[in-house]
Amino acid sequence: MIEIEALTKTYRSRIAVDDLTVTVEPGRVTGFLGPNGSGKTTTMRCILGLTRPTSGTVSVLGRPYRELARPMRRVGALIDPRARHAGRTAYAHLQVLAQSNDLPRHRIDDVIELVGLESVAHERMRGFSLGMNQRLGIAGALLGDPDVLVLDEPVNGLDPEGIRWMRGLLRDLADEGRTVLVSSHLMSEMQDTADHLVVLGQGRLLADCPMSDLLGRHAAVRVRSPQASLLARALERAGAFAEFDGDTALWVEGLDVSQVGDVAYLSGLRVHELTEVTASLEDAYLALTEDEAEYVGAVA
Amino acid sequence: MSVPFRAVLRSEWTKLRSVRSTWWCTGLYLLVVGAAGWLAAAGSGAAPRADVAVGTTLIGFGGGQLILVVLGVLAVTSEYGSGTALVSLTTVPRRIRLLLAKTIVVAVYCALLTAVLAPLCALAAVVLTDVPGGIPLLEPSVLRPLGLQVGAAALVGVLAVGLGATLRSTAGAVGLGMALVFAVPPALALFDGQWAETLSRSLPALRVGEDAFLAATSPWQIGMAVIGAWAVGAWLLGAILLLRRDA
Repeated sequence: MIEIEALTKTYRSRIAVDDLTVTVEPGRVTGFLGPNGSGKTTTMRCILGLTRPTSGTVSVLGRPYRELARPMRRVGALIDPRARHAGRTAYAHLQVLAQSNDLPRHRIDDVIELVGLESVAHERMRGFSLGMNQRLGIAGALLGDPDVLVLDEPVNGLDPEGIRWMRGLLRDLADEGRTVLVSSHLMSEMQDTADHLVVLGQGRLLADCPMSDLLGRHAAVRVRSPQASLLARALERAGAFAEFDGDTALWVEGLDVSQVGDVAYLSGLRVHELTEVTASLEDAYLALTEDEAEYVGAVA
Repeated sequence: MSVPFRAVLRSEWTKLRSVRSTWWCTGLYLLVVGAAGWLAAAGSGAAPRADVAVGTTLIGFGGGQLILVVLGVLAVTSEYGSGTALVSLTTVPRRIRLLLAKTIVVAVYCALLTAVLAPLCALAAVVLTDVPGGIPLLEPSVLRPLGLQVGAAALVGVLAVGLGATLRSTAGAVGLGMALVFAVPPALALFDGQWAETLSRSLPALRVGEDAFLAATSPWQIGMAVIGAWAVGAWLLGAILLLRRDA
């Protein structure tokens, strides 16, 4: 569990994180979303004690990160996949990490195998692709078999196979009861991965809710009927908002799919198609962050 | 139960030995200092006393210690240059512990290298220099300059780590380190007057045996105290900044 309480971080005059209060619960994958510069990385750095908050507190498993006795056994972190000495071998890099927390040597081989880097473990990291660096970063985060994972954009740079692998891994980790906080700007990816969302915009909390809530808030029903105008009137009488899509189809908001079906049935109207259209996370997210994006292109 | 300190030490040693720059510095240090010692002994031919003969062979340490400055600075700044510092401070969030472990590893490594190298230099005097009565290697007058060399190397390592932690940039820290120990002392020799001499004595000039290399000479006790004070000062400044700054 990660508890963030009224966290604020300012750099000179710029506010990176603005009075953020969030609790990240165990047993689920929490997606951490926001446009560039919205404060995701700063928040994660505060969680890990790398950055000192201007005000507010952050605790991991009930205490400040810096007070954890064996941090790697409690928290696994991936902040920057390129943050390592390129001249070291992957194995030596993991060995440095394992030794610093007195972890058993066999864990190094375990995590190398888990992320599938056996063939390059003894090569210098200079030639590694971003995808390989991400896998190695995950290996480092998992070395101590931690209860909490804090991963900044772990999917970035992975190929499709790697993305599927990462999705499964995060799911497994959450199912084992761990706290998993994953930031991303790839909305479509979060849609398949996260159970819960925390959305930031300009350092402020925009949403902290189950994934399904955010999607549901932007859902609509599409209904096609040869008697579309009669149906539109019936639906509006039932309290819905109906909009024509061509001559025979309607977009309906305010009623769910079964309610729309019932209205049609009770009015004795024929229906040729009845579909629930869930907004993509992308749409929901854009709707949330529209006003908040720091770098919106100017509209002529 | 918290992580034992020796685990952090072991991790820092793995860091130091697993990058090439360490081995380049090691090879260069042994080669430059060793070769200078043997060449100096071959060139001098004869000396009036054993300690003079041995002192001559240590001449390479003056420039050679600059390589230790580079080694010590890189141990810190390469972490900032590559971003490894983020990972290190996440895995060992008690920052002073981390810096202390790194400092001990670098200082001990510098001292051990020098403990091997200094006697090899002295051997050149035994083999190549004519001294009335020969060179008794276990005489205090011969052992002391060798021991001072080992101590100075460790302190140079501490100074370099401190400068690295303070400036976080390789170019900046190596530049300042070289200026302090190598460039400013001889520059001061161009000036006459008490102030220049005092200033020269109070800079951490590299020591060759009992003499300050390229600087106004002072007794070895004072020389070591000066370099020790600079090493501790730079280290404390680096430690304070490490605690106060965001990673």
